[in-house]
Amino acid sequence: MVNENEVLITSKENATFARLSLDKGYARTLVELAVISIIMIIAARFFRMYRITDFMVFIIFVLSFDLLYGYMGHLSFGHMLYFGSGTYASAIFMNRVSGNPILGILAGILFAALLAIFLGALVMKTHGAAFALINMGFNQIGFFMVVSGLSAITRGDDGMAVFPDPLGSIHLGNERILFYVVLGSLLAVFYFLKRLTQSSFGIMIRSIHENENRVKFLGYNTYRYKIITFVISGAIAGFAGTLTTINYGFISPGFINPFYNVNPIFAILIGGAGNLYGAIIGGLVFKFLSEYIAIYVSTWELVLGIALLIMTFRFRTGIVGSVKTLFGKLLKERMGGGTK
Amino acid sequence: MMDTILFGLTIGAILYLISIGLSLTFGTMKVINFAHGLVYALGVYFYISLLPRLGSFLPAVILSVALVIPVSYLIERLVVRRLYGQSIDYAIIATYAVLLIGTDAIKIVYGAVPYPLSAPIRGSFSFLGASLPIYRTLIVAAAVLVFLGLTLFFKKSMVGKVVTAALDDQEGVRCLGLRVEKYFSIIFMIGSGLAALGGILYAPISAAHPYMGFYILLMAFAVVIVGGMGNMKGTFIAAFALGLLISITGRIYSQAAEVMVFVAMALVLLFRPIEDSSH
Repeated sequence: MVNENEVLITSKENATFARLSLDKGYARTLVELAVISIIMIIAARFFRMYRITDFMVFIIFVLSFDLLYGYMGHLSFGHMLYFGSGTYASAIFMNRVSGNPILGILAGILFAALLAIFLGALVMKTHGAAFALINMGFNQIGFFMVVSGLSAITRGDDGMAVFPDPLGSIHLGNERILFYVVLGSLLAVFYFLKRLTQSSFGIMIRSIHENENRVKFLGYNTYRYKIITFVISGAIAGFAGTLTTINYGFISPGFINPFYNVNPIFAILIGGAGNLYGAIIGGLVFKFLSEYIAIYVSTWELVLGIALLIMTFRFRTGIVGSVKTLFGKLLKERMGGGTK
Repeated sequence: MMDTILFGLTIGAILYLISIGLSLTFGTMKVINFAHGLVYALGVYFYISLLPRLGSFLPAVILSVALVIPVSYLIERLVVRRLYGQSIDYAIIATYAVLLIGTDAIKIVYGAVPYPLSAPIRGSFSFLGASLPIYRTLIVAAAVLVFLGLTLFFKKSMVGKVVTAALDDQEGVRCLGLRVEKYFSIIFMIGSGLAALGGILYAPISAAHPYMGFYILLMAFAVVIVGGMGNMKGTFIAAFALGLLISITGRIYSQAAEVMVFVAMALVLLFRPIEDSSH
């Protein structure tokens, strides 16, 4: 159990840190963004470019999940719902209303965010196991809707092709252009989440993770903070979904299937929960594993399951956590803020 | 209309058999056990292997359920028990991992193709007509018997009494010097055995496939949430109510049948927020 004043002290320290980091933080943030870009560009040279684009989209999804699970401590088994609603909303918008990909992306994000507001108000009344399961239930409803309930619009199991219009001379069908668009999106999401998690809002949601009752006793309306976090997380997941629509040019119910909720959870466990670097590293490693192990091993789920078991028992802090323990204080000082 | 009601009661009976284990596991150990879906599917596949060798229904069922129990003991001992008292997230993830491993193992041994099973009652003519199918009536009767048996078990037997007390106040029971883990382990195995039984009884109505556990788990979770986590009578009523809801919705608008379960779950949450103690 936490000491009486620990949450308060942590908050104060973090607040001080956040204020200090504003001054000298820009240079560091720029370096971080540059490092991420360089890693992705190098990876794109060695592997197929569209693969790395796909990886980055997945990392955006993992980042959104990290905000909810890693930072606020709410494990959801239904985050694919928001990813999938982004996918479907953007595809249907681009096919039926306007082919403009920017409008399509905005429509997808908006739809996912609205859904998250509506359902978040409900699911945030619960926590722990009930929270995980209820999200899974809603995801299942969404999946049923796509497969059969609304199959007139979503084309059910057949899925549908999407053809976004070119923006002037820029054609998103070009894999190089799309790569840089997605890279830019990843950097933007990373930067946004970094600022968010270091702000007083970020301290609040981490305090909710530590001990929600204590935060309530301090007079804060935690319900409101939780819904806002849920909506931000859902909107970013929806954003990843819209990028998937454009990247694949074809969508199917697989993008909203609750079965795949285990992917972001696994990625976060690999990298380390509650840590933006962890989400990026975990997302990359997970994608490499799932793409390349699946080629050689037909029993991918078996490997995934065993790896998950090992990680829950022996390797809980993930790669980032293990590296940090290894390098001890030296690295801890350097990484600061976004970690706990 | 009568057959719709009977179908609803059949689904309810199956849901009850599967959910009771989940509900008890959650009530006692505070663990959401995804591996429950594995023992459910495993029971069916054991039955598929055993039926041709034994030739008749009842011995095959008894033996398959008996075979599932050691598996569930291993799951409890090696995975669930090691996560007692820790963050519930790890238990969810670890038991989900067990479900993934087991499902893939089933796929390796039996293949991924759905396996149809015929209903075991001899004289199959009796359930093809418009009259009520005997097999389904028997399933409902079996569930009611299990409910009565469990009620008796929890009232009369030592294990049952300890677990009933632990559902209420676990620390109190511990203070009496009783090792609750041992009793929970027995409950875990009983719940798993009943899930396997539910799976075997349901398989002739649907079909056996490796992912059957994933699908039914979602429904069972809805039952547990509607009935109240760890509430035995609530689980019984919720299972039959949701079973009827599925069959009646299915008659009116078949595509919405399964969705209604989750709608009901959402409504229950809206009007009765769950105050579970997940830590």
